[in-house]
Amino acid sequence: MSSSEQKYNDTIVKGFLISGLVWGVASMLVGVWIAFQMVYPELNFGPYFTFGRLRPLHTNAAIFGFALSIIFATAYHTVQRLCRVKIWSDKLSYLHLFLYNLTIAAAAITLPLGLSQSKEYAELEWPLDLMIVIWFVIFLINYFATIFTREEKQLYSAIWFYIASWVTIPILFIVNNLSIPVSWFKSYSVYSGVYDANIQWWYGHNAVAFVLTTPFLGLMYYYLPKHIKQPIYSHRLSIIHFWSLIFLYIWAGPHHLLYSPLPDWLQTTGMVFSIMLWMPSWGGMLNGFLTLTQAKQKIKTDATLKMLLVGLTFYGMSTFEGPLLSIRAVSGLGHNTDWIIGHVHGGTLGWVGMMSFAVIYYLVPRLWNTNLFSEKLANTHFWVATLGILLYIVSMWVSGISEGSMWRAIDETGALKFPNWVQITETLKPYRLFRGIGGGLYLIGLLIMIYNVVRTILNAGSGFKEIDLRIGSKEEKVV
Amino acid sequence: MNWFDKLLDWFSGFTDQWEKHAVKFTLYTTIAILAGGLFELVPPFFLTKTAEPIQNVKPYNALELAGRDVYQKEGCNNCHTQMIRPFKWEVDRFDPGHSYGKDGYSKAGEYVYDHPFLWGSKRTGPDLAHESQIQPSAEWHKTHLINPRDTAKGSIMPAYPWLFEESSIIDASKIADHMRGLRKVGVPYTEEDIASANTLLAGKTAGDALIAYLLKLGRDTAELSKSLQ
Repeated sequence: MSSSEQKYNDTIVKGFLISGLVWGVASMLVGVWIAFQMVYPELNFGPYFTFGRLRPLHTNAAIFGFALSIIFATAYHTVQRLCRVKIWSDKLSYLHLFLYNLTIAAAAITLPLGLSQSKEYAELEWPLDLMIVIWFVIFLINYFATIFTREEKQLYSAIWFYIASWVTIPILFIVNNLSIPVSWFKSYSVYSGVYDANIQWWYGHNAVAFVLTTPFLGLMYYYLPKHIKQPIYSHRLSIIHFWSLIFLYIWAGPHHLLYSPLPDWLQTTGMVFSIMLWMPSWGGMLNGFLTLTQAKQKIKTDATLKMLLVGLTFYGMSTFEGPLLSIRAVSGLGHNTDWIIGHVHGGTLGWVGMMSFAVIYYLVPRLWNTNLFSEKLANTHFWVATLGILLYIVSMWVSGISEGSMWRAIDETGALKFPNWVQITETLKPYRLFRGIGGGLYLIGLLIMIYNVVRTILNAGSGFKEIDLRIGSKEEKVV
Repeated sequence: MNWFDKLLDWFSGFTDQWEKHAVKFTLYTTIAILAGGLFELVPPFFLTKTAEPIQNVKPYNALELAGRDVYQKEGCNNCHTQMIRPFKWEVDRFDPGHSYGKDGYSKAGEYVYDHPFLWGSKRTGPDLAHESQIQPSAEWHKTHLINPRDTAKGSIMPAYPWLFEESSIIDASKIADHMRGLRKVGVPYTEEDIASANTLLAGKTAGDALIAYLLKLGRDTAELSKSLQ
């Protein structure tokens, strides 16, 4: 047992990493399946496995199964090191892990059964919502107690991003999920119509902000400098982009409701703040990039670093595309089309996925005290995943813009050029097929990583040695 | 950029202090995220213009409500929107019979009894906000739901034959409970409305209810519009 294992609780980190891999495979498998359902409707096996029931399963497993597992794993790992104390309560952390996985497993059963509130990313019915509140409170107590007992005075920037997430997630979750239960499996939102829409997209957009963005910025601020052994490029940049990011993000929700019956002043507020958001987002991206340039000579050989680089690139791209799509005129074309699906996946596959993979490759050898089974496979994973993302996004761009253009095409007489909906569907088929293939490649990449991770774990305890891949294993350097 | 540096000095002067005090830091973070949330979520409830009720819009009856539950259960909102934007091309496509005069786009007043809203975010199939005016035939809907390819060759919609099977007959007392729940959140159901669940739902399958819901979408506002024309 190394000294770090005595000082810190790494079992909880391992637990969440493994949950992440399990729910990652589940969510992506369902994702690929429903992608092909969009081309071959025969793949809908009723009543439990139709697109309408599987799509929420895909999104919930990806966001709350895969991404949240990685977030909790890194949160437990970083908070102990940044505060220089063991997690406040081991027992509470294991209870958190257990209840969390129980909830996601229950979600994987109830969603195909059709038990759904039908609000996007808040589909789970009320008993599961209550369970989520319980384990989140358990986690919050444990996390903040750890911070309050810390031995390091200064809170490093990685922790700020985690704290902002922990504060915001419960507020979003509770306000949006307020509902009246009418039975054990059915409830109705307390809000109606346009009010419900406003609150749902305040929640929906900020799930992107405080589940898929801020925790991943937090882990970037910790693992990127750690991995390359260089400090973060600018502490001041992190201050200004942190405070402006969390202040501005929360206003952006109404850009999902442009041209809807939502009051105009709200739509405009959402649009303006979305455009302003571009700056703090790129502040974070630049801080990452400039940190990374300090180790640019490693890029060619180091798969983890390549993943961080591609993750940051997609962060930059998605946070440029987001404000663009929130401009009324662009939204007029893109809203409701496959373009949005592409945009979302640029962020999730590119930013969240790649950052998660990088962290897994960083953590697994260290936690299990051995070296990665194969750097070559990690590199293969990187290329397969990157190709998959590109295929996915490009096909969705083409599909979405074709879709939007065909909806609005009007001939000389003022009549719709494509009044037949199926004609549009048929046109989009090839692009949707490529999307499925892109998603499939991404899944294959994940499976390669899991094989690599399993082989690594089987070799646990053989001793971790840091290798500078530029030099090769012959002249390995022990750190 | 001297002014910018000065601004940064001033700002980091106090954030540096917060970074050493976890409680202060958490408190200021909470204030930062609450500002926008409160600004956007609270005022709409107090501004009368947010959703002006349209007098003709009536709550869903027991059968239509049961159909709405089916719509939610099957996740139809994952592929169909219920919100028509004020564009000529969108109004022309989703109001071909000009049932709404020049105003065939969606208005806030149409959704006052929708708990939750079902606008959706992806339009893989056509918009359904005014479906009653586009396809008024119940028979067509039944054929379409049992196998979408029979009415629209090349459709990628899943088939829903089980909705019409014996096992899908709806329990009226359950829907009555749902109506009582909705009354608590402000839908003005009377005792009569709730009592009518038994007769309206007698022997009806989930599929019949879903069709009743589809034929309710946009009907009330179209009737109002026709009476004004």
